[in-house]
Amino acid sequence: MSSLRARHPIAVFATAVALLFLYFPILVLVLNSFNASRYGASWEGWSMRWYQLLFSNHSRDIWQSLRLSLVIGVVASVVSMVFGTIAAWALNRYRTRLQQAHFGLIYLPIVAPDILMGISLAIFFVTLNVERNLWAITVAHITFCISYVALAVLARLQDFDGLVVDAARDLGANRWQTIVRVVVPLLAPGILAGGLLAFTLSIDDFVITFFVKGVGFDTLPLKIYSMTKHTKEMPVINALSTLLLTFTFASVWWIQRLTRTRSAT
Amino acid sequence: MSEFLVFDGVTKRFGDFVAVREASFAIEKGEIFALLGPSGCGKTTLLRMLAGFIEPDEGRILIEGEDITKLPPERRPVNTVFQSYALFPHLTIRDNIGFGLKMAKRPKSEIDSEVDRMLDLVDLTEHGDKKPDRISGGQKQRVAIARALVNKPRVLLLDEPLAALDLKLRQRLLVELDDIHDEVGITFLYVTHDQTEAMAISDRIAVMQRGTLEQIGTPAEIYEAPVNSFVAAFIGDTNFLRGKVVTATDEEYSQAEIEGVGEIRLFNDRPLKPGEEIALSLRPEKIRIESHAPPTDPGLNAIEGIVEDVIYLGSMTRYWVRVGDQRIAAERQHSRYLLDEKLPSWKDRVWLSWRADDGCVLSDFAVEDTELLSIPPDEEG
Amino acid sequence: MSELRRKTNPERRAEWWTTLPSAGWLLIFFAIPTLLIVVMSFKPAGPYGGFGEGWSLKAWVDMGNPSYPTVLWRTIRLSLAATLICIALGLPVGFLLGRSDAKTRSILLLLVVVPFWTNFLIRVYAWKVLLHPSGFFRETLVSFGVIGENTLLLYNEWAVLLVMVYAYVPFAILPIYASAEKFDFALLDAARDLGASSIRAFWLVFVPGVSRGVMAAVVMVLIPALGSYIIPELVGGPTGEMIGNKIAQRVFIDRNWPHAAALATVLMIVTLLPVLFAFAQEKRESIAVGKKGGDASS
Repeated sequence: MSSLRARHPIAVFATAVALLFLYFPILVLVLNSFNASRYGASWEGWSMRWYQLLFSNHSRDIWQSLRLSLVIGVVASVVSMVFGTIAAWALNRYRTRLQQAHFGLIYLPIVAPDILMGISLAIFFVTLNVERNLWAITVAHITFCISYVALAVLARLQDFDGLVVDAARDLGANRWQTIVRVVVPLLAPGILAGGLLAFTLSIDDFVITFFVKGVGFDTLPLKIYSMTKHTKEMPVINALSTLLLTFTFASVWWIQRLTRTRSAT
Repeated sequence: MSEFLVFDGVTKRFGDFVAVREASFAIEKGEIFALLGPSGCGKTTLLRMLAGFIEPDEGRILIEGEDITKLPPERRPVNTVFQSYALFPHLTIRDNIGFGLKMAKRPKSEIDSEVDRMLDLVDLTEHGDKKPDRISGGQKQRVAIARALVNKPRVLLLDEPLAALDLKLRQRLLVELDDIHDEVGITFLYVTHDQTEAMAISDRIAVMQRGTLEQIGTPAEIYEAPVNSFVAAFIGDTNFLRGKVVTATDEEYSQAEIEGVGEIRLFNDRPLKPGEEIALSLRPEKIRIESHAPPTDPGLNAIEGIVEDVIYLGSMTRYWVRVGDQRIAAERQHSRYLLDEKLPSWKDRVWLSWRADDGCVLSDFAVEDTELLSIPPDEEG
Repeated sequence: MSELRRKTNPERRAEWWTTLPSAGWLLIFFAIPTLLIVVMSFKPAGPYGGFGEGWSLKAWVDMGNPSYPTVLWRTIRLSLAATLICIALGLPVGFLLGRSDAKTRSILLLLVVVPFWTNFLIRVYAWKVLLHPSGFFRETLVSFGVIGENTLLLYNEWAVLLVMVYAYVPFAILPIYASAEKFDFALLDAARDLGASSIRAFWLVFVPGVSRGVMAAVVMVLIPALGSYIIPELVGGPTGEMIGNKIAQRVFIDRNWPHAAALATVLMIVTLLPVLFAFAQEKRESIAVGKKGGDASS
């Protein structure tokens, strides 16, 4: 780092500014969750009252919406792990016109803005007169998750030595045994990474859910959104956000450690 | 005035590792000077210090008396031909060659005519508008040379310029490089780990090992009179004979007892005293191999042994002959192979002979250098 | 090339079975609904919200409403500005990531990625708190006399731009870094050796060298920026509204769905332009490179 600083002072400066920019609002938010002041403009001393409020009866809906988010996230990521992995296999294995179209279908949902996906699914469900319930939300989430899993597995497949499949068949494994014993274990890191990304995106999604959902069915981001409309709820959001941040950092750290020990052995 | 480019006590450390240790030497104007050594010997570090990418910890670098040690690379009167060429992939061949002139803000018409001239020099006129990924490795090499030369550097630095090419192309480009040098007359500093390349092209060679300059001299001096076992073994192939001086016969010759071989006659490359431990380097091609004892001659050493290995190499055959507990490599040229007398073969009893002044008494010997020989001795030397 | 070699029947069937689940799903829940937007924009509004019977150009006639061009222009302007700033930040950061050793690189990369794993809404909301009339920034700036008592930091275009840059800058850094990782840094030495200063070497050699990454970064930032909804909704106020806000207003306030569909069609056209441009560029490049195979999946 010190030699980098000497050789590329401008790049180091720009990076420092970018990182400060990325973390400053988050730091202020965390600090404010412990601030006795309701508006966080000035420091009025340490306080845990927002956390107490968060865990009191006052905030029962928050926990309910978190549970809803988790259920949708788990279902969406598991389903998209299956679909995405199969899709990646086809994309990697075959070089046909069909796969070119297939790749387009996988790629476009990633670049399409959320709001377009949200409004299109909303119009779709309204046109078909489908009830916009929990299942509608889950279907929407699976739709945007498949692509991410497929691309994560595809990246893994590109380093995949196709000869191991031949080797497994040569050693007497049938098609199914080859998939279960050789292919899936080798692709597992890619599938898990994709699934994790899908889960994060599902938990994080606001816009698509906002358009697709009917009355009720507030996932956590929707609950947070409605709370941002009321400034007196700000400190509770700060406390909740701090907990979510801690959770994210801890899981990132844990995953990092997990992958490091795995690659070390 | 012959001291055109001077390294004066240049030292570079990376942490605890000393990459270059107090290098002091001078390069003459217009010569091709090679820095030769195994990878990690510090030759590239030395070159990068001259180019300006690395700053020395100690010492100075001067070109025609001007100290350039502190100048950034873009302000030094030197240009580099990089190891993997480093051609700009987004620019055409013309724009690659014109890059330096453009940086110097030369008028467009001048850049165009200079680029044309260089394209002609390296014989790439019809490829000027191609991108680098559309031309062959040898052509890329020539573009890299043209791109550097067009700036009329006072020294052209070549960092393993042929390493990425296959053997035949390497040999051809070596000749081309020599022709270009004759045409432009610029001083070349040529870094390589390949001794045949260095021997073929250079006026002088500096052999490096572990950050230290071991020997500087013309290719012939380095080959015929290596100062130590490293230089002897790294340049070409050789036999090491170790022993003790028995008598200092006269001004020019001494007698020495070689372990397991017997007494031989030595030329005094340096003054020798009786009882002194010596190591002799004896090139395989200096040794005659015959089925009969050679006629007695006081200037000739002759020993008897048994052929253990025979390798036919086309233009010659190489033999490994067991003499006592030594294995000695000897070569025999074939000018008329099929008509020749019967050649010695495996398990034959043969005579090896060489003129006393064809050996070279080393001033320094290290056992690990024997690892550099094409077939190291089976036990410790 | 012999990619079109005849396939044996079981293999052909295997391809269909492995393609069908994802392709079918995305066809039904992504492609058809997306096209449906265009179709439904030609429907009349239903009396109680939703779509009415028959066909109508009413929604498209309403697009002439003078407020729309203003909002569309603002959407494009803010998105382009945000993209430009993100690339300007992404280039030096990507350069540094490419240049640093493995350990520094993994730490920096993690630092760039982690905020991006925290809830988007919360990150936008954090800025709302910072820029709030009684928040940290305004109080600080007022007390230093940089801005007047009556200046608001929140609810204007600048706030939207700032938060867009904040939210999308990782999308610019990551693709540029991916390119920089493959960039041959010896080229910068070569440029310096040929007389370029370090800044010129950066512009003339590094930036063209990572042009693919920059192109990807443009797509990754510009498209979500054009479709922004939460950011202008939370920090934009009426003078910072973008197309996304207008779509949401039509759906949730007037319940005029055809109108929302027409607006979404406009947004779709605007976002398709950069994608098509990027694809065309890609195609041109792969043609220029020659017979390296136009492999769609790479």
